[in-house]
Amino acid sequence: MSDDQSCTRRQVIRSLVGGSVLLPAFLSRLLAEDAARDPLAPRPPQFPGHAKRVIFLFLTGGVSHMDTFDHKPRLFSDDGKTMVAGGGLSQDKKQLLRPMWEFRPGGRCGTLVSDLFPHLRERMDDIALINSMKSDNNEHFEATLAMHTGSFTFARPSIGSWVSYGLGTLNQNLPSFMVIAPKLPFTGTQVFSNDFLPAYHQGTRVIPGPEPIPHLAPRSRGEGLQEAELGLAEAFDRNFLKDNGNDSELAARIRSFETAYRMQTEAPDAFDLRKESDETLKLYGLERSKPQGFAWQCLMARRLVERGVRFVELIDTGAYDNWDAHGDMKTCIPLAKNVDQPMAALLQDLKRRGMLDDTLVVWTTEFGRTPGQDGPTGRGHHSAVFSSWLAGGGTKGGIVYGKSDELASQVAEKQVHIHDFHATILHLLGFDHTKLTYRHAGRDFRLTDVYGTVVKDLLT
Amino acid sequence: MKAIAGIILAALTPGAWCVQAQDQGGSGDAGLSPERVEFFEKKIRPVLVERCYSCHSATSEKLKGGLRLDSREGLRKGGDTGPALILGDPDRSLLVRAILRGEDAEKMPPKDAERLRPDQIRDFRDWIRMGAPDPRGSGGPGPARPPAVHFEEARKRWPFTPVTEPKVPEVQEKAWLRNPIDSFILAKLEEKQLRPAPDAERRTLLRRVTLDLTGLPPTPEEMDAFLADTSPQAYSRVVDRLLASTAYGERWGRHWLDVVRYSDTAGDNSDFPIPQNYKYRNYVITAFNEDKPYDRFIREQIAGDLLPFKDLQEKHSNLVATGYIANARRFGSVVKDYPWHLTIEDTIDNMGRTFLGLTASCTRCHDHKFDPLTNEDYYALYGIFESTRYPWPGIELEQYQRDFVPFATPEEIEKGDKERADRKTALEASQKALEAQKKMAEIGAGGGSDDEAARAKQAAQDLAKQIDAIKGEIARIPKTPFPYETLYAVAEAKKTGNSKVQIKGDPTRLGREVPRRFFEIFGGQALSSEAKGSGRYQLAEWLSDPQNPLTARVMVNRIWSYHFGKGIVQTPSDFGRQGRPPTHPELLDWLARRFVECGWSVKELHRLILASHAYRLSCQDDPAALAVDPGNDLFWKFGRRRLEAEAIRDSLLLVSGTLDRRMGEGHPIPPMTGWEYTEHKPFLAVYDHQLRSVYLLTQRISRHPFLGIFDSADTNAGTPARITSTTSLQALSLLNDPFFHAQAAAFAARLRREAKTSETRVDRAYLLALGRPPSDEERTQALDYLGTWNSRLGEGEAWESFARVLFRLSEFIYVR
Repeated sequence: MSDDQSCTRRQVIRSLVGGSVLLPAFLSRLLAEDAARDPLAPRPPQFPGHAKRVIFLFLTGGVSHMDTFDHKPRLFSDDGKTMVAGGGLSQDKKQLLRPMWEFRPGGRCGTLVSDLFPHLRERMDDIALINSMKSDNNEHFEATLAMHTGSFTFARPSIGSWVSYGLGTLNQNLPSFMVIAPKLPFTGTQVFSNDFLPAYHQGTRVIPGPEPIPHLAPRSRGEGLQEAELGLAEAFDRNFLKDNGNDSELAARIRSFETAYRMQTEAPDAFDLRKESDETLKLYGLERSKPQGFAWQCLMARRLVERGVRFVELIDTGAYDNWDAHGDMKTCIPLAKNVDQPMAALLQDLKRRGMLDDTLVVWTTEFGRTPGQDGPTGRGHHSAVFSSWLAGGGTKGGIVYGKSDELASQVAEKQVHIHDFHATILHLLGFDHTKLTYRHAGRDFRLTDVYGTVVKDLLT
Repeated sequence: MKAIAGIILAALTPGAWCVQAQDQGGSGDAGLSPERVEFFEKKIRPVLVERCYSCHSATSEKLKGGLRLDSREGLRKGGDTGPALILGDPDRSLLVRAILRGEDAEKMPPKDAERLRPDQIRDFRDWIRMGAPDPRGSGGPGPARPPAVHFEEARKRWPFTPVTEPKVPEVQEKAWLRNPIDSFILAKLEEKQLRPAPDAERRTLLRRVTLDLTGLPPTPEEMDAFLADTSPQAYSRVVDRLLASTAYGERWGRHWLDVVRYSDTAGDNSDFPIPQNYKYRNYVITAFNEDKPYDRFIREQIAGDLLPFKDLQEKHSNLVATGYIANARRFGSVVKDYPWHLTIEDTIDNMGRTFLGLTASCTRCHDHKFDPLTNEDYYALYGIFESTRYPWPGIELEQYQRDFVPFATPEEIEKGDKERADRKTALEASQKALEAQKKMAEIGAGGGSDDEAARAKQAAQDLAKQIDAIKGEIARIPKTPFPYETLYAVAEAKKTGNSKVQIKGDPTRLGREVPRRFFEIFGGQALSSEAKGSGRYQLAEWLSDPQNPLTARVMVNRIWSYHFGKGIVQTPSDFGRQGRPPTHPELLDWLARRFVECGWSVKELHRLILASHAYRLSCQDDPAALAVDPGNDLFWKFGRRRLEAEAIRDSLLLVSGTLDRRMGEGHPIPPMTGWEYTEHKPFLAVYDHQLRSVYLLTQRISRHPFLGIFDSADTNAGTPARITSTTSLQALSLLNDPFFHAQAAAFAARLRREAKTSETRVDRAYLLALGRPPSDEERTQALDYLGTWNSRLGEGEAWESFARVLFRLSEFIYVR
């Protein structure tokens, strides 16, 4: 290994001084020999999956199902009547609250969607809507944690980390799991934590703004200085590597600087909208002068998955000013306006680029809301039934799966528990959810714990 | 049907009496009229046979829930959840609740498709109302509850056998031995025909042992002194010096804090801060520095409040030590129905892993599937912690501390409490007075001239505002800090006693009561019948008993694993069957013996291990050894490893000359008066300083931005060994983090200050950062580099750049 390079170390340094960075071929060879041990090398799933990557849309606070996707005529006709609620309601007796928005059919399938989501309504032919989602906890913290990790109480690896662990990544210059979140949701960073999985699989948070990834902007002054520093460090590190039996961990460390170095340009390039046409920006409802909001997040999601990022999660808002409309459902109007057109645009954009077939788009939230009023015109937390949807990646478009009862209070047919939801997502990616496991603290852990059934009717 | 109705009616009123007689008499069975027997045979028995016997009879493959339904006795005795029947009272009978499939009992039969028909349920209710006439006998012997745990067998198996006194093995290469540890190591190597690696160079060894014991690299002066000391005691003198430094406790205390998942916050939905908890952190650091005997260390953490003390300082330290228990995780955001069972589970889980290397939390719901721990063991310990008062760090729905342990004289406490009470009384009195005035004003507002009425109305409004303000002040009283010191520590609960089994871990479904005691596998030592209090005092004794086969083994293995980067048992917090078996069981026992013999002195154990030849080997690979033992399980070389997050940050600070060596105190957490943390706006803080990293704030809801990137400890579960990941985010941090750049700048300034010429500066830089001078080639490269960038950017920038290069080297953040 020692002297088969084309130039001597001295020459390397000379050229570094000139400002060019030489990241040598010998490293790639070394790593190629060790590909099996590279935790982020792309890996085939357990069986061929339809979906190759995931965009996970998470709306914080708990989106009302009966005001969006789950049309219940009785709530319109019985407004103000007292109902005796079953389990899952925050209190026993409540006045039923009429949804504030009309429902209209969308797409060729004609699925009814409320006026909160007029753009998304037009994409219903691409969407497998689930109106029988079920979670087990009415608290934001627990529900958020469970939707991301399968656990209601304990910190566990996030679904994005599991997918990264299972599939590796297609672009070594970007993290495998990225989370675009202007604010932290409930449970803080636990929603994208790798927990006991190796740290390669942790979600990297992207914050819309001048430095979307921490420490991304080069801080060294002087042209070519950073390259020179890396070159010199690498020359020194190679001595150390040689003295240490060309260990793969040390080789990976040298490479991590190479990756980080390229990320400094690759990531800003991914975040750079200049190459997007006016037409695309218009589709998302994004103004070039204001690169922010969910429109920016959705367009970024497409750009990141295009570049090989395996799992992109978008979180619309933080632990307050969110969908948690206890007092007044009208607070949902600006939140819906923020997400509706961009989500529809994302589906359309992926489709016209031929990416929707192998990109799974997941739309979900913490829980639904109560059919009865909580505050004067608001609704409480409701985990007994709610709505979510899947699109692309091997799911059936234009269908509605499962039903709630006539007050949207309980699951009436074909319950999809969050564990079933997770099992189905993993299945679409080519994993038997009972076999994607990691040995930790003396037992094999999995995303679905000891639960979960794949919902076959959602699959093409 | 009419006939049956008649029987029921007849049975209704005298039923209760009848049933009692039956129950006590047993043999007489006065209630067994032919009609009743017929009812049983036609309506009840067939359903039991068809729907229940497969799991609840002598013929069951595996008896479920300890319940037999194939005999009269079985039904009456019931299973784990208690009697299946309350004769005469179907609504309260578990059997009926189970077949009704309500929320309050296990649904039976379990599958929805097999649920009983409404008429069958009605039959069971009627039958119980009659007094459950049952002509069947005892049902004969059948499967009792399947014994999941065979203690006799388990006691014969490692790790539950007593610690042995193994013979130090004979080896061929006697000249290699420095102490008996080496005999155990070399014997295994000779068995595999492997040779140990050559010795580490002296510079490497000093850097290794200094980082190992203090978490900081050696200074050039320390290096020179060591190299100059040619006496045979040079190395042991270094070990003594390092063990005597305060940096030792800061390093090894941090290891302990990893294991006990220390955090400065509670882990509830708002992650409430615990400003006092740093005292436990400092207690741990001091305990290591003072070489507190490990058995004593255990006793103080479990039951410090119950131990005698010689002075107030010792009392304080003992109380603070119980912060170990107090520091269990909190959950959710509610006060009423707070899930104590989860906090206690976290306590038992951590206690089992930390002191015994056992994963006891599995037994919350069922007997352990792999290890000899039972569901009853869990609730036997649960009773001890349920009899313990945990401090309340605050939670969304009650944002203030209570039940902290006061450290003050009774007079001071009384005075403080009285001040609060007086303040409350005074405020309530003014509230009352104002309310009376307001009432008057309101009456005034209803009459008199328009002008007067308007004035009165205005006055009433003003008074209402004042009343609100006073109410606010009253509500804030609990948030006022106490005028005396309070500790995040535990105390005996007002009510102490045994706990009941929570069926399948569900705290709303209680089974039988379990007397408080220790794990059955270790002898099941129980509280004596006269014992008062929680039982923590006794638990502390049981845990620190030198006869316990695991206490010493587990700690010895932890210490070994921090020295060598790998344990003799490679899963330091899991000695059970799901963990890894020991690679050198005899060595482990030999060390455990020595540990107890030397009075549980951790520092003596360090000296013993560090004196071995095995610790002083180089990292040099050997193809033959690699082929046989690629993972170095046999310790034929020293395993190179990356520094932990804290050691990386501390090394940066030390080498750059900016490390503040003082002991850290509390964090600048805002005072309780202003606490309004909620799930929506949780406590989130980063308080940076130049002290050692062990003194940085740790949270359960998030990690420190720099330490988190380098795999800092998990504060939600114990971390028995740090993982090492190599990520591009780490590299980005070392490229562009302002903290990193600031340290490099300080390092550059230090070099320019401390050495005059470029050559001497380069040499000094290497000695400071890497503990060695540069090679000629490295020196030339460095000078070349500095010359080029000096001419382009000036001297200052060039040296900063060079400092960054050194700080990014693998050699800087790896120890070998």
